[in-house]
Amino acid sequence: MKFLVVDDFSTMRRIIKNLLHDLGYANVTEADDGQTALPMLQGGNFDFLITDWNMPGMPGLDLLKAVRADAKLKQMPVLMLTAESKREQIVEAAQAGVNGYVIKPFTAVTLKEKIDKILESRAGAK
Amino acid sequence: MPAKTDLKERYGQAVAALTASMHADDEVAFATALGGFPDTAESTLRTDLRELTENLRFALDRFSTDSRLADLAEKEVPDARHRLEHVLKLTDEAAHATLDLVERSGPLAERTGVRAAGILPLWQRFRDRNIEQKDFQILLAAMDAFLPSARADSEQVRNNLAEVLMAQGYQDISGQIIRGVMQLVTEIEIVLVSLMRLSSVESVRAAPAAATSSRGHGPVVPGVDHGKVVSGQQDVDALLSGLGM
Repeated sequence: MKFLVVDDFSTMRRIIKNLLHDLGYANVTEADDGQTALPMLQGGNFDFLITDWNMPGMPGLDLLKAVRADAKLKQMPVLMLTAESKREQIVEAAQAGVNGYVIKPFTAVTLKEKIDKILESRAGAK
Repeated sequence: MPAKTDLKERYGQAVAALTASMHADDEVAFATALGGFPDTAESTLRTDLRELTENLRFALDRFSTDSRLADLAEKEVPDARHRLEHVLKLTDEAAHATLDLVERSGPLAERTGVRAAGILPLWQRFRDRNIEQKDFQILLAAMDAFLPSARADSEQVRNNLAEVLMAQGYQDISGQIIRGVMQLVTEIEIVLVSLMRLSSVESVRAAPAAATSSRGHGPVVPGVDHGKVVSGQQDVDALLSGLGM
């Protein structure tokens, strides 16, 4: 399973990458904002997108909308991992088609739970 | 028309008093100076000066009541201080958490090393087939004690390292808060430059609009009003499940 982790802070990308490794997902690529991530997604056969919201360039919500608007990418599981915690924002992300929403600071257990849940529901839908 | 010297003689003193009181923004002195004008030109001069005073007052009023400037000074600058205090707290906590974990891990690694070193001579004699029955029994007992403790210690060190990794997350949160304060500083700079350029009664323009919701609002800072925010992951899950997710 190939993951793309999008966050403007390299420390956070490292944390997520390490946690994914611990969960058995060794194939993890990084991007520092939506603008960099979108062409990577379009050309990279990724299976799972984990993205922050608040980033310079293209923010995570716009990346999510771009993914959902792209015929090739629209089915991709997207987990938002962000410090954005306004209720209206979470509703907005849900309406834009996010599959999971984890707020920072987060725990390894929460990340695992959400990824498992998304993958389970994907497997069930197939 | 009177000669210039006449004008200076007749009005010089009164005009000087008027100018001085206007610069000092002293209404009483200004009115007294106005009353001191000697002849018929008085009423026209009075009207002009009154208009000038009103304009001056208007400019001062606009200056002092400009809402953006007031907002910046009264709310956002103290908020920024609060945000930076939170950054200090986050970095302090993360540094201490990391140091605690390193201090807890060091002795565990050391204990494993010391115990292994203690076993090595007997182990070497065993490998050389040069060990007595009694020493072999001691070696077995030492190995029995060492292996589970080494396993437990290394597992604890591994867990501590994972926690050290997680403690570095402070950099993301604090970086976002600092970036927000930097935006505020830029905004203050823009307002101050506008004030410096303020000519006569021009008002200070409002600062650029706040970030749109698509760009995000940044992390919640305790003590700063963020509107309706979730209190934690459980709250997020409840909200999303309410939306059918």
